Amino acid sequence: MTEVTLSNVVKRYGKHQAVHGIDLGIADGEFVVLVGPSGCGKSTTLRMIAGLEDISGGEISIGGRVVNDLPPRERNISMVFQNYALYPHMTVRENLGFSLSIAKKPVAEIESAVRQAAEILGLDELMERKPAELSGGQRQRVAMGRAIVRHPDVFLFDEPLSNLDAKLRTQMRVEIKKLHQKVGNTIIYVTHDQVEAMTLADRIVLMRDGHIVQVGTPLELFNKPVDTFVATFIGSPPMNLINGTVMGAEVIQLADGVSVPVPSSARGLVTDGQKVHFGFRADNLMPEGHSVQEEGEKASLDLSVTLTEPLGTETLLFTEIAGTEVQAKMLNPRPVRPGEKLTFQLMLDKCHVFDAASSNAIRS
Amino acid sequence: MDRNQSHRNRKRMLKALHFAALFMTMSIICIPGLWIVLNSFRPTVEIMAKPPVWTPSFTLEHYRAMFGGAGEGGVPVFSYFRNSIIVSVVSTLIAILIGMSGGYAFARYRFKGKAGYFVGLMLFRAVPGVALSLPLFIVFARVGIIDTHLGLILAYVAMNVPFTIWLTDGFFRQIPKELHEAAEIDGCNRWQAFWRVEFPVARSGVASAAIFAFLTSWNEFALASQLTRSVGSKTMPVGLLDFTAEFTINWGGMCALAVLMIVPALILTFLVQKHLIAGLTFGGVKG
Amino acid sequence: MSRRRLPEWFVLLLPAFIVIAAVVLIPLIFSLYSSFTPYKLTRPSTLWKWVGTYNYEKILTDAKFWAAFGRTVLFLTIVLNLELLLGLGIALMVNKVTWGQRSLRTVLMFPMMFSPILVGFQFKFIFNDNIGLVNNVLQSMGFNAALPWLVDGKLAMFSIMFAEIWMSTSVFAILILAGLFAMPRDPLEAAKVDGCTAWQTFRHITLPFLMPFIYIAMTIRSLDVARAYDIVQIMTGGGPARRTELLWTLMSRTGYVDARMGLANAMGYVSILLSILFTVYFFKKLSAARAEIGMAG
Repeated sequence: MTEVTLSNVVKRYGKHQAVHGIDLGIADGEFVVLVGPSGCGKSTTLRMIAGLEDISGGEISIGGRVVNDLPPRERNISMVFQNYALYPHMTVRENLGFSLSIAKKPVAEIESAVRQAAEILGLDELMERKPAELSGGQRQRVAMGRAIVRHPDVFLFDEPLSNLDAKLRTQMRVEIKKLHQKVGNTIIYVTHDQVEAMTLADRIVLMRDGHIVQVGTPLELFNKPVDTFVATFIGSPPMNLINGTVMGAEVIQLADGVSVPVPSSARGLVTDGQKVHFGFRADNLMPEGHSVQEEGEKASLDLSVTLTEPLGTETLLFTEIAGTEVQAKMLNPRPVRPGEKLTFQLMLDKCHVFDAASSNAIRS
Repeated sequence: MDRNQSHRNRKRMLKALHFAALFMTMSIICIPGLWIVLNSFRPTVEIMAKPPVWTPSFTLEHYRAMFGGAGEGGVPVFSYFRNSIIVSVVSTLIAILIGMSGGYAFARYRFKGKAGYFVGLMLFRAVPGVALSLPLFIVFARVGIIDTHLGLILAYVAMNVPFTIWLTDGFFRQIPKELHEAAEIDGCNRWQAFWRVEFPVARSGVASAAIFAFLTSWNEFALASQLTRSVGSKTMPVGLLDFTAEFTINWGGMCALAVLMIVPALILTFLVQKHLIAGLTFGGVKG
Repeated sequence: MSRRRLPEWFVLLLPAFIVIAAVVLIPLIFSLYSSFTPYKLTRPSTLWKWVGTYNYEKILTDAKFWAAFGRTVLFLTIVLNLELLLGLGIALMVNKVTWGQRSLRTVLMFPMMFSPILVGFQFKFIFNDNIGLVNNVLQSMGFNAALPWLVDGKLAMFSIMFAEIWMSTSVFAILILAGLFAMPRDPLEAAKVDGCTAWQTFRHITLPFLMPFIYIAMTIRSLDVARAYDIVQIMTGGGPARRTELLWTLMSRTGYVDARMGLANAMGYVSILLSILFTVYFFKKLSAARAEIGMAG
């Protein structure tokens, strides 16, 4: 009903190609997050879906209709802008009701829609104020209210939380997720923050340099990254990567004489002498006695801690393996002195191998 | 599919219309001036030809006559030009000095009745030149400065000061007070702090104000026509009117004179178009 | 600060005060005084005779005065409105251009650089009924009648208005362009998404933001409104037979040709009041408009 489909969509600015032929299918009611570093083309793609940018090639359809040349107002979409884009000379009430009054809806209908949106977003006391008199978070909520008032097919969010402080951001994230659960429309959300992507999305679309690198659920991207870019972008702290060479298809030789067995996921898929990146997350490297009790292949490493970052329920430990700085986690932490030597356990089942030349994951 | 097509077509049509309208507008703006320039190079015979001749021929006869001085019944072009230059440059310099100090006063100081003074000054600018010329003529006649450079310069300074104050006030406000304070801490007295720190930063604003003042003086007619009597002090606008009144069929010559009048102004415009816009809007918007 | 030194701001403003007092204020006062006398340049002694409001009564009952006054007000109203509309349209068009905008802006400034005398001369030449460009073109296209652009009452007013509009529309265009440039883009995109057509976006979002700029332009224009005098003087001189007589040409003729200074000064004051009225009106609107859109935010 309100699915969105992109077929081979291209965007060119003169000679420069910003988006290279992307294909994407978004199901009705899905919350999809486009995420990636600055300049990856995610905002451009969103704006093409909205109709604020011309499409240089390919096709975009919303709800089964091709919308390539249609202006935004004929696509039945709503958008929440990064800078809120509130109408400065109108009150909150007028801002909310503007689109409906343009559509010449009856006054009673406008009033009830505005009231409903205000209730959902807690704007009742701000109705007569002008945007200049609102705080950042309040403006953000008015921008969202303006979007929901029209009951469109698709909601588009363009980095809506970037301008808020950290605490407000986490609050608003929850609001947005609740909104989706309540209202249920298709949402396409753009952000550069992978935490937002992980917490909000039904599916994540990770983009880079105008291409889609991987599409999948948050856990899919977290547990089965398709290359080192995905692996290091998703998850905080980023995945540790150590250079190594495969020896005899069973063992990976890292520098300094350290070697680790090839993880089960990659067994049989590597060749002798292949240069690889060996990857594991901080969660998979924990000191003995301060880790999760889990079955599985483990390797023991004696490492000396260089730096600690206590977070309360856990502590991030910085240490070194084979000359590369890596991060590990410590549960039920006790104070650790820099330079202290601990025995760490590496969960081999959770480790990843990436081909060094192509950066792609080697996985069965 | 059909809706997409119709929108595409509309976009193309609008683009074409947009281009056409812009082209027409620019033409209307440029054609009169170009026509004058063109005709200053056409022989009188051709200008007066009936039916009209459309292929232009080229001649410098008008310019030669004009600069020859003796010909064309003796149009003292050089005198007019000289008078205009002297009066405009001097009045601009004085107006800038007075205006800058006034603008600085408004920008940096607080004092009672400030708003009142400001509005009062601006209102003086609203007095039509023609209305002012009547009493000014009588007063200047009494004082004996009719038909002198001094008389015109005085009048133009007074005319330009309010606007100059307005512009420089706007520009000085843009400069943070801290700059001046930092300079004073560094050892400057007020005077030095101004000339070595604030003035250089406001230079473009002062330049805009200077350009405006110059152009206002250069192009002014109403006052000049009454405060000048002879070739000794008549400026170019007055000269053009005199010429037009006297030689009703020497269009080529008149065009040549007009070209001479417009050239300095156009050159100035080219050089400072960025500053001009800044000048017009700074003073007005932030104000 | 010791009591004996004058406050700095006063010293800085003093030259300005002096110059304006000497060259503007005092003559204006003199003008006011003389408007209460039957002062004639040819008979200087009449300066000392006081006749009260005789001059003012005379002009207020003079049909010729009212004709000129009415014509002036009509002229100003039409011209200012047209300049605003055309300037707005041009600004919107130029704003949409992607490259070459700077050159377009420069071209737009040309008319502002011309002396009004020059503008008047240009169009005097172009509208000349014998060899003017307009009639020549018409003739080459087949129309045989030579339209008397500068002689017929209505056509002459049209020609003068054309010249004046040609000269001053740029002021509006450039100021409004600056406003369009300063406008935040986001609300415009939001309006597009909210369902506005181009016209609705303009009316509800762009226009309110532009109001202060429009009023600035109006205020600036009102200050200069009397420059039309220069144009009329060279194009028609107020004639023929007073058909294009505006307030200022009447004033000038009364004072310098008829030498009736007292009367002319009375007219002068009326015209000054007119100018000030326009300016103050627009300035008030400007302040209100600025507050409306919360210029601070």
